[in-house]
Amino acid sequence: MAFQFEPSVVIDTIPLLMRGLKLTILITVGGLFFGFLLGALAGLMKISRSFIARKTAGIYIECIRGTPMLVQAMFLYFGVPMAIGMRIHPLVAGIIVIAVNSGAYIAEIVRGAIQSINVGQTEAGRSIGLTRFQTMRYVIWPQAFKRMIPPLGNQFIISLKDTSLLMVIGVGELLRTGQEIVAVNFRAFEVYLAVAIVYLAMTLSIAKGLRILEHRLHMRTQR
Amino acid sequence: MIRIENLHKRFGALEVLKGVDLHVKPGEVVCIIGPSGSGKSTVLRCINRLEEPTSGKIVVDGHDVMDPATNINAIRSETGMVFQQFNLFPHMSVLDNVTLGPIKVRGVKRAEAETLGRELLAKVGLADKAPKFPDQLSGGQKQRVAIARSLALKPKAILFDEPTSALDPELVGEVLEVMKRLAREGMTMVVVTHEMGFAKEVADRVIFIDQGRIQEEGPPREFFSNPKHPRLRDFLGKVFSHE
Repeated sequence: MAFQFEPSVVIDTIPLLMRGLKLTILITVGGLFFGFLLGALAGLMKISRSFIARKTAGIYIECIRGTPMLVQAMFLYFGVPMAIGMRIHPLVAGIIVIAVNSGAYIAEIVRGAIQSINVGQTEAGRSIGLTRFQTMRYVIWPQAFKRMIPPLGNQFIISLKDTSLLMVIGVGELLRTGQEIVAVNFRAFEVYLAVAIVYLAMTLSIAKGLRILEHRLHMRTQR
Repeated sequence: MIRIENLHKRFGALEVLKGVDLHVKPGEVVCIIGPSGSGKSTVLRCINRLEEPTSGKIVVDGHDVMDPATNINAIRSETGMVFQQFNLFPHMSVLDNVTLGPIKVRGVKRAEAETLGRELLAKVGLADKAPKFPDQLSGGQKQRVAIARSLALKPKAILFDEPTSALDPELVGEVLEVMKRLAREGMTMVVVTHEMGFAKEVADRVIFIDQGRIQEEGPPREFFSNPKHPRLRDFLGKVFSHE
């Protein structure tokens, strides 16, 4: 039987993927929200005066960056419940994995951006009597945040695509939904092409959104 | 106002300050000159502890700067600092640069802080620049904003760290004018500078620092016309041969 490409199958598949798409978006948004908080915390700890804080953040970052996310997901979903005697909902596990994983990379983004701000800014802030925290909050962070946007955009795109790995722990996200459709109609070529198109549409949207945000922040300081 | 006793500062193996004593009286204008690397900026930065002194005693307005019980932020807000590189906050408007200190450190209401900020900007001749951003200003204008920013906390003294060294020559004058006015109004000022003309005209006392020590000090007339220390004679000779 010769292979015959059916464009209509691609078109028809996309609406069927919406259920999985919703989960993918939910996990991505939830995971990145907590991932950013975790990353900002770990990034600040990495440059704190406290040795313990620096070390703790360092160990976290190294362990997460040094192991595959697929392993982290399977460890959390299949391994951890054996230890704590309690099942973890796949969706919750998915959000945790994305948060913990992206947090490690975001920590380095945050640290790098903060350290790239000229030390004179800190000195100027401290010289008018601002505390360390106030100097970070009002002087350093707003400038550093602007520099974080391009690498954060990169990380957001990576994390979005990484959610596809969560199919192994039974999260009915986009790729898994596609796989289920293939199991019924055997149109692997068209269905996975449709899945790829949906991922691409999302990553392009993120990239576009971040360009707009970057532009706005730029406009605000240079009228 | 500011009393420094036997100040030592060491960066690793390098001893930058080898025992500096300096008293600055209220309302006094003290200019510190000396070759680069002599430690003159370090003295200034130790006064508000942007640099941690290795040993010695520093008292500002009756408060021991080195005492761990002293609130260093309070001392810093009482001693303004103007930097060579301006260090304005680039993400804030000129007015916000000036009002940040009063609002966050003093707890002044925004409207009140803005009135004060506009007054100070007018004082340094930049009333119309309030809504601009630092990037839109010339170097001289930036430095005048920086002076307004430090004045906004109503400090008892202002430390100037080579305030005109990063400026194009034609912009030096406008900054020195503002500083002269502050001096006339009775502000206590410690100025690290290479502007000998300013030191001659405005300073109550000029100090020559070299090799980590004060080598000579005195009122400007005597200091410049009759330098005693050979190193100072050498230094002044080099400086004036370029002017």
